[in-house]
Amino acid sequence: MRKLVCWRIANVAAVLSLALLAAVGSPAAAADAPTLAISLRTLSSPYQVMYKTGGEAYAKNVGLPLDVLTTEANSQKGLADIKAEIARTGGNVAFYVDPNDATDAIAIAKTMDDAGVYWASWWSKPADVKVWDYSHWVAHISFDGFAAGEFMARELIKTFKTPGKGNIIALQGRLGDTPNGERWQGLQKVLGENPGVKLVQWESAKWDRTQAYNITRAMLVAHPDVDGVWAANDDMAMGAIQALKEANLAGKVKVVGCDGIPEIFDAIKGGLAAATVFNDGKYQAQLCLALALAAKQGKLNVSSLPHDRRQFEIPAVNVNRDNVEKIVHDYIQNTPNYDLKDLFARWSRAMP
Amino acid sequence: MTRDRLDRTSTAVPWPRLLAGVDAVQRRVRRAGIHGQLVSLVVVVALFALGTGGRYLAWPNVRVILSLAAIPTIIAVGMHPVVVLGGMDLSVEGVVALCVVFVGLLTRNNMNQNDVGLWIVPVTLGIGGAAGLVSGTCNAKLRIPSFIVTLGMSWVLWGLAVFVSQGQTLALLDTRFHPVVTGSVGGIPNLALLAVALTIAVQVLQDRSQLGRYLYAIGGDEVLARQAGVPVDRVKIIVFTTAGLLYGLSALLLSTRLGGAQAITGNNLLFPAVTAVAVGGVALTGGIGGAKNAALGALIVTALNDGLILMHVNPYAQDAVNGAVLVVAVALTIDRKKLGFIK
Repeated sequence: MRKLVCWRIANVAAVLSLALLAAVGSPAAAADAPTLAISLRTLSSPYQVMYKTGGEAYAKNVGLPLDVLTTEANSQKGLADIKAEIARTGGNVAFYVDPNDATDAIAIAKTMDDAGVYWASWWSKPADVKVWDYSHWVAHISFDGFAAGEFMARELIKTFKTPGKGNIIALQGRLGDTPNGERWQGLQKVLGENPGVKLVQWESAKWDRTQAYNITRAMLVAHPDVDGVWAANDDMAMGAIQALKEANLAGKVKVVGCDGIPEIFDAIKGGLAAATVFNDGKYQAQLCLALALAAKQGKLNVSSLPHDRRQFEIPAVNVNRDNVEKIVHDYIQNTPNYDLKDLFARWSRAMP
Repeated sequence: MTRDRLDRTSTAVPWPRLLAGVDAVQRRVRRAGIHGQLVSLVVVVALFALGTGGRYLAWPNVRVILSLAAIPTIIAVGMHPVVVLGGMDLSVEGVVALCVVFVGLLTRNNMNQNDVGLWIVPVTLGIGGAAGLVSGTCNAKLRIPSFIVTLGMSWVLWGLAVFVSQGQTLALLDTRFHPVVTGSVGGIPNLALLAVALTIAVQVLQDRSQLGRYLYAIGGDEVLARQAGVPVDRVKIIVFTTAGLLYGLSALLLSTRLGGAQAITGNNLLFPAVTAVAVGGVALTGGIGGAKNAALGALIVTALNDGLILMHVNPYAQDAVNGAVLVVAVALTIDRKKLGFIK
């Protein structure tokens, strides 16, 4: 009998101490130190790695922990990981999300609203879904793809033997992707203004370097006399450069790309590529995290923001042979100390 | 008069002997199990030659096709014995991703001080082979279906590749391999010569060696083969390891050709390889087809894609054509007697 009582007391003590431990370790105890989190597609993309680098620099500046989640191109995994992160932090988190797929944005927005978590997004969102219909979706931002495609095309046709007169071939990314469509529209605008420039063939290389290489080799058989290659991203541009090398055309026929991967900068310096548009992923991540954190900490009143401050575009960085050295030094080798006091400093135009 | 003319014709052209010769060739081709594939290739080539006004058959384009078909051929030659066994190997993208990343990290590059020089060849083949060895062992000893093992393996290696490379693209600075990979002998790309040599070697192994006989015995009926004393597990492990080895070789060639190493180099390799194996006439039900089938399949798929581009076929329709070709090829080659039900 006495033994039993002792046992019971020991049990109660154990349960009590466990409860105490749980209370100390619970998220509520860390209420004043929110977590920052980034959801991106994959760390196999050098561009998306910049989100991480930029995010880490920002987290260090503000003295908060940062978690990076990857969807690996799987929308279900993306959403499940976001929910898990919210549960883990007890909702005390501010998110930057680059949705894997445009339609994912809806499910993510509902999840964030239900949990009361502020977030900002980049790139993908269905056009008819409006940020202001959700109380915790602070902003949706994009780089201006139309301007990028236009800049690339203008730089390309400058390199022709007779500037503004010649034939080009083009490589699109995945057909149907929004950035691809915007950049393509930019190219179309320049083609419309320059009747001397003819787009003799285009193919989709699905953003992939090997495919771009294969396709460009085949296209060069059909059109051995091209004057330039327009590629919707730098990886495809690098594949095209390799194909041109094997056809003894590298350097004579210039290539343009977009995104600003390290290799394209070397290609621009070496005279193989003419231009690229650098999407500054570090700034992108910092801006979104700063927006979400400001809303979370009550420094930004989301509901009072005008619509054009919640869906907008900012310009990316145009790179050609004249400024490539400076861009590499300032943005790649170093992480600039971005001024994030005015969160809308780079605002260029509202997104419809 | 009529008789006279007939006599003269028969002496001028020895029809019966010629016909007998054609017949012998036909029989030989049919016995080799590649007649359907040769017909497909001829049809594809004829269609595109007509469609492009002959430019398709001009030497510059043939050279491009040979050069582009080489790496898919090596991958398909590696993958097809698994299919002959009645299994499926989906690990190619992950294996290539990891091997490519190691090529980038270990040869002279722009990120670290490593430079293993020519040792990269055995190292890459070793990594690929080791991956195949693990897949094969899991499949044979742990009795896990091959498509699950290799699918899992692909994702594990892909994750490892991304982790090891930190998602960066490494520029390859050791340029010794590059001229070998992009060069040619007598106008024929070196890569194509390598692919042909590998195909012949594997085909000879399949035709002449005991391993080859075991391979088809297992593919025909695994239970019977096991009862007859065929070392089924050992053959499976050898087959998966060889496949991994050849994926490793492809990774080395791919990254060298593009002068850069990144994990996503492995992407988009699985579909063309599976299509090549199926189009080549290797039955997904096992037991039928050899290296020559895989190589012919890769050639047909490459020739098809090249033709679609040369003929300016709408890019929106090209993927649809490829998908349809895969389904039709499987429909023609699959042995339905072996399947109790279709899922």
